[in-house]
Amino acid sequence: MTPEIAEVQDFLGGHHPFDLLPEEARAAAARTIEIAYVRKGATVLAPGAPLAHLHIVRTGAVESLAPDGRLLGRAAEGECFAAQDLLRGGVAGGRTAAIEDCLIYLLPAETFSTLRREHPAFGGAFAVFDGGGLAAAVEAAPEHKSFDLLSRSVGDLLTRGPVTVPRSASIREAAAAMQAERVSSALIVEGGELVGILTDRDLRGKVVAAGRSGDEPVSAVMSPQPMCVQAGDPSFAALLLMSRHGIHHLPVLDKGRLVGCLSSSVLAEAQTLSPLTITRAVHAAAAAAELPPLVRRVPRVAAQMAEAGATAHSVGQVVTAVTDAVTRALLRLAEAELGPPPTPYAWLAAGSQGRQEQTAVSDQDNCLLLDDRFDEAAHGGYFAALSRFVVDGLAACGYAYCPGEMMAATPLWRQPLSAWRTYFERWIREPEPRALMLSCIFFDLRCIGGKAALWEDLSRAVLEESRRNRIFLAHMAANAMHHAPPIGFFRGFVLVSDGAHDNTLDLKHSGAVPIVDMARVHALSAGIAAANTQERLLAAAEAGEISRQGAMDLKDALEFIGLTRLRHQARQIREGAPPDNFLDPKTLSGFERGNLKSAFQVVKEMQASMASAYQLSRF
Amino acid sequence: MWSPLFGTDITRWGLAALCPPGPLKSYYRIDTPTADTPYTRAEFLAVDIETTGLTRGDEIVSIGFVPVIGGRVRLAGAEHLLVRPNCPVGEAAAKVHGLLDDRLAAAGPLEAALARLLAALAGRIPIAHHAAVERAFLSRACRAVYGRPLVTPWADTLALAKRNATRGNAVLANGELRLSSCRRRRGLPRHRSHDALADALACAELFLAEAAACSGKAPAPLRDLL
Repeated sequence: MTPEIAEVQDFLGGHHPFDLLPEEARAAAARTIEIAYVRKGATVLAPGAPLAHLHIVRTGAVESLAPDGRLLGRAAEGECFAAQDLLRGGVAGGRTAAIEDCLIYLLPAETFSTLRREHPAFGGAFAVFDGGGLAAAVEAAPEHKSFDLLSRSVGDLLTRGPVTVPRSASIREAAAAMQAERVSSALIVEGGELVGILTDRDLRGKVVAAGRSGDEPVSAVMSPQPMCVQAGDPSFAALLLMSRHGIHHLPVLDKGRLVGCLSSSVLAEAQTLSPLTITRAVHAAAAAAELPPLVRRVPRVAAQMAEAGATAHSVGQVVTAVTDAVTRALLRLAEAELGPPPTPYAWLAAGSQGRQEQTAVSDQDNCLLLDDRFDEAAHGGYFAALSRFVVDGLAACGYAYCPGEMMAATPLWRQPLSAWRTYFERWIREPEPRALMLSCIFFDLRCIGGKAALWEDLSRAVLEESRRNRIFLAHMAANAMHHAPPIGFFRGFVLVSDGAHDNTLDLKHSGAVPIVDMARVHALSAGIAAANTQERLLAAAEAGEISRQGAMDLKDALEFIGLTRLRHQARQIREGAPPDNFLDPKTLSGFERGNLKSAFQVVKEMQASMASAYQLSRF
Repeated sequence: MWSPLFGTDITRWGLAALCPPGPLKSYYRIDTPTADTPYTRAEFLAVDIETTGLTRGDEIVSIGFVPVIGGRVRLAGAEHLLVRPNCPVGEAAAKVHGLLDDRLAAAGPLEAALARLLAALAGRIPIAHHAAVERAFLSRACRAVYGRPLVTPWADTLALAKRNATRGNAVLANGELRLSSCRRRRGLPRHRSHDALADALACAELFLAEAAACSGKAPAPLRDLL
């Protein structure tokens, strides 16, 4: 009889990624494990030591240092270490020592490799170290759901439980309950069973207009045996039922239990949260004042899409599409007020709007590109007024003024084509720190309104200039190393390179920014006009600028970090807090922690390969 | 390659000669390591038994063991053996927590379990927590089955833990030498003592912790651990 080693098996089952294994696989794996005890301070793995096992910390903690003393990582209970070394040649790269008395489980490399092969979800957690790419990890994520609001279930739309009144209550008591709960209907129950519904409309028509007393029983005026929907029904089914029968309230049942009441206003509100509805209303706006309430729905749309399993890339596209629509509506309204433009112009979005990577209503970065026939004395006033109108209109919608004044309303950023060419030439030829900072913003331009051909002329010239200038590119590459991802996590903290523990993870600067910066360098080097990071990476791989695997890994890392950020912001929005980029690592699941670690690893490796490609050690 | 340990060689040699052919004779034919062998180069077998009680008339109902080789617990060699008692099964099961009647009724005889234990014990030093119990029961069982006692040095984690803990003349209160208390003092995780194998494993881990504590720069020799 093969014995069950419950202790070990249960421990593995409680930790990611072993929790992804089926019970039998875990039991079989447990039987191959060896257990070592290491006293605090003792070396577990010396540099160059051959590795034949995956190391898993059972209790205690270990720390790994590179031969040059750099901190490589720490691992505590339930975490693996030296997995990367095991998968890449089987020799320990650094020195791993116990920083507390440790019990360590050693899983033979053979068992480990069988598990990875036979259980792709488990294997995905190590794929980054194994040439398998990050995709395997991201794909193993929980299944994506549809985010089309009308296909969401009725139960999902309920915001509160039912307001019930016993059949024996008076009309006045029922009305008082509705008033106290601020609802437009009450469900009448008897012995736990739904027997009727009383709505605002009943109170108006059957009570007040009919001259009834509030002391009469509610059963005299309720609508008996109302039509119901099941919590699992799609919301469009509820919509059909309401419109077919001309009713506004539907009690919702879940397995025969009353769980709430769906009103037509809740359904309508769900509808208005569709991004399509928002952009349509933005296009139809007749005045700038109509825009802010529409934009106010955007964070909830983003949150809903994220919760429903949309990719971060598509949320970015949708949220930016709203910003674009708002910008175009403001340009249209400005032209309606100021008259047609005296010379052609192109309204350009920079930064995250330019890259189509907005996930929430953020600061505005934009500029105005004018035709070379522009004459300051004759046309200056018109374009100043147009820019002011749009920039103020955007600010009123919540797109805060750029703290660095990088907006079309600033005369410096409202220039004819020839002036813009001079700007870019100077930034490219003299890449001092401010020029690099500006390059990071203005190399992500996208034309939103006006004459697109103007922008195409500028873009072509600039790309030609930048791709030829290796020194500029090397400076941009060095700039892309400024933000380094953290080393990993340690006991609920973020572990940064000096060994310090942070309470928060900055998903923007230590996650997305380095990837965005690297993609920009690759795009400029290969003369790619796209501004979107994902498009840039794929085009760069196509052009042979970076390896296909490297491009896919960075794209997946950005996607995973983006999703984590969106889910974090969705949670904040649900809790009524303003969305930000700072995540408490303690709220991460083992799955998320593992994947973020893999994403950081990808970023670090791609930064290192970019550094060597541009010989940045010489900087 | 092993030379005899603690002078038990003569006894072992004699017992090997006296034993009828079988598992115990084979066991005695394989020597145990010498007293100056570092523990990381010796082989051990952590053993735990469950019995119907602690008196002479009580019986073994299960044996759990796991090898410790090269300073590592090897789960691949772990075994959990149930023994069908001579007394009524219901009576035995009632005395042992968590053992089901039907599992016990389906268990093999003591001879079968002993044969497996002795095969696993060859060349290895047994470890137990409060080894007197295992020593007495297993020796009596060998005598009953093979007509000869089980004579072997034992490593006792209770004695080791006590020695390590009382080095600074500290006095330990009653109960502080229980397996779970000893493990807690060494920072080892809580274990559920649900069967003989879980306890053998818990004892094996404690042995590694105590042996590490007995070691200086070099791993402690066997003489310091027995």
